[in-house]
Amino acid sequence: MLLELKNTAVHYGKVEATRDISIKVPEGEIITLIGANGAGKSTTLRMISGLVRPSQGEVLFEGESIAHLDPEDITDLGIAHVPEGRHVFPQMTVLENLEMGAYLVKSKQEMKNNLESVFEHFPRLKERVKQFAGTMSGGEQQMVAMARGLMSSPRLILMDEPSLGLSPIMQQEIAVIIKEIHAQGRTIILVEQNARLALSLAQYGYVLETGEIALEGDAKKLRDDEGVQRTYLGMD
Amino acid sequence: MGLDILPQTIGNALVLGSIYAMVAVGLAIAFGVMQMANFSHGELFMVGAYCVYVLYTLFGWPFELAVIASFPIVALIGVIYERLIFRPTRGNVLAGFMATAGAGFILQVLISEWYGVGLPKSVQVPYPGGSDFLMTAISWQRLAIIPVTIAMVFGLWYFLTKVKDGKALRACAQDPEASVLQGIKLNKMTALAMAISGGFAGVGGALMAPIVSVNPYMGHDYAIIAFIVVIVGGMSSIPGAVLAAFILGFIHTFVSTFADSVYGMMIGVLFMAIVLIVKPTGLLGNVKV
Repeated sequence: MLLELKNTAVHYGKVEATRDISIKVPEGEIITLIGANGAGKSTTLRMISGLVRPSQGEVLFEGESIAHLDPEDITDLGIAHVPEGRHVFPQMTVLENLEMGAYLVKSKQEMKNNLESVFEHFPRLKERVKQFAGTMSGGEQQMVAMARGLMSSPRLILMDEPSLGLSPIMQQEIAVIIKEIHAQGRTIILVEQNARLALSLAQYGYVLETGEIALEGDAKKLRDDEGVQRTYLGMD
Repeated sequence: MGLDILPQTIGNALVLGSIYAMVAVGLAIAFGVMQMANFSHGELFMVGAYCVYVLYTLFGWPFELAVIASFPIVALIGVIYERLIFRPTRGNVLAGFMATAGAGFILQVLISEWYGVGLPKSVQVPYPGGSDFLMTAISWQRLAIIPVTIAMVFGLWYFLTKVKDGKALRACAQDPEASVLQGIKLNKMTALAMAISGGFAGVGGALMAPIVSVNPYMGHDYAIIAFIVVIVGGMSSIPGAVLAAFILGFIHTFVSTFADSVYGMMIGVLFMAIVLIVKPTGLLGNVKV
């Protein structure tokens, strides 16, 4: 198991954001967390990457507890977090954004190799290396954020709402890129409100409701589940 | 009062703008990275001046060496500020304000205890004489400030745009949380920002030591001007701080020359008010560090 959450809870002050979340992420798979706004999807990702600490439970990466580590050390272990809302560095060029993604990469050669492999996924960024990230469209910024996450050659990538606010065409483009990244053997946790997209990409899914796991199962099984269809896929 | 004093006044304005830039750039970079204002930035400037007084006047070091030494000495004070004040109060602007204001008083009292308050310290002028060209007569001592400022601002620009940790500093100013997710250590970056901030203020004070009267309270005026400059330029913008420093340098010099210095200050503040009405974020307010 690459990553395992055991009965974790997160509190913001006294408010409980998530409780009793247990998730298993096997190496090489895409796992998705779906659910409505405020269900605790982003909080769970923020807990994995160390931005918030669990108030209960364990976070195990390759069997080692990482819950006490700072985010920068968790990044160093090989977990990249592509945050919700892109969070690119707006007044830095695309290239500078990618360099920051490789902040912990020490060797120049490795950084160059990573840059080249990232440009294979995102040829559009290669033409725009000098453009300020803040002047790009939402879809392009999403690409910058994803490419930046890949620059540290992570073992596990957390993607928070990559399709949010994008046109259907751009959503499809992002989906294709996620497939490509996965095909290279990377493990991905995908958080999405677009359940249809998420369940078409993932092998296994968790449905979060008000901070708890309401349902889990193979992505195919969830797609066929009546409740999921009604609530998240807009089918009657 | 004719056109013949124009070159002289422009020269004076460039000198003044340079010194404003040295002090304001440090304030802007610290604010950019921490979103916290150092209300004793002027005291760091003052300590820089005392570095020259102690090392050059009392110990007899070469002036240049004393100025160079002021950078690491005051940078170290900046780092101590970061560790003891800004890190514990991160995110709490009011606490940072109170604590830095208090630290400023501590520095004033310490310097007063060690070197006295009474007579201003006179630092002998290391570069006597002055310019005698283009109808200007500006002492070498003042003129020297311009190239030093250019070199230091260029050095800072190089660091921020070409060096990895400099870029990381900009990243932290633009989005701290996203920076942390890239593996950048926020504490290291805020310490770095305060080191640069202190170093620039220190060298500014060091360069001014032979020109103004050195006393424990000398930093006050410069701190106020630095705040005006940074507000006009756009709080966390370094290009904005440099631009605003020279604009205010020209306003203060020209109005002081053709009217008097109280009007100079008044019109400078009026200019700030107008900028804030027209563009509340400051001249280059959306251009972060």
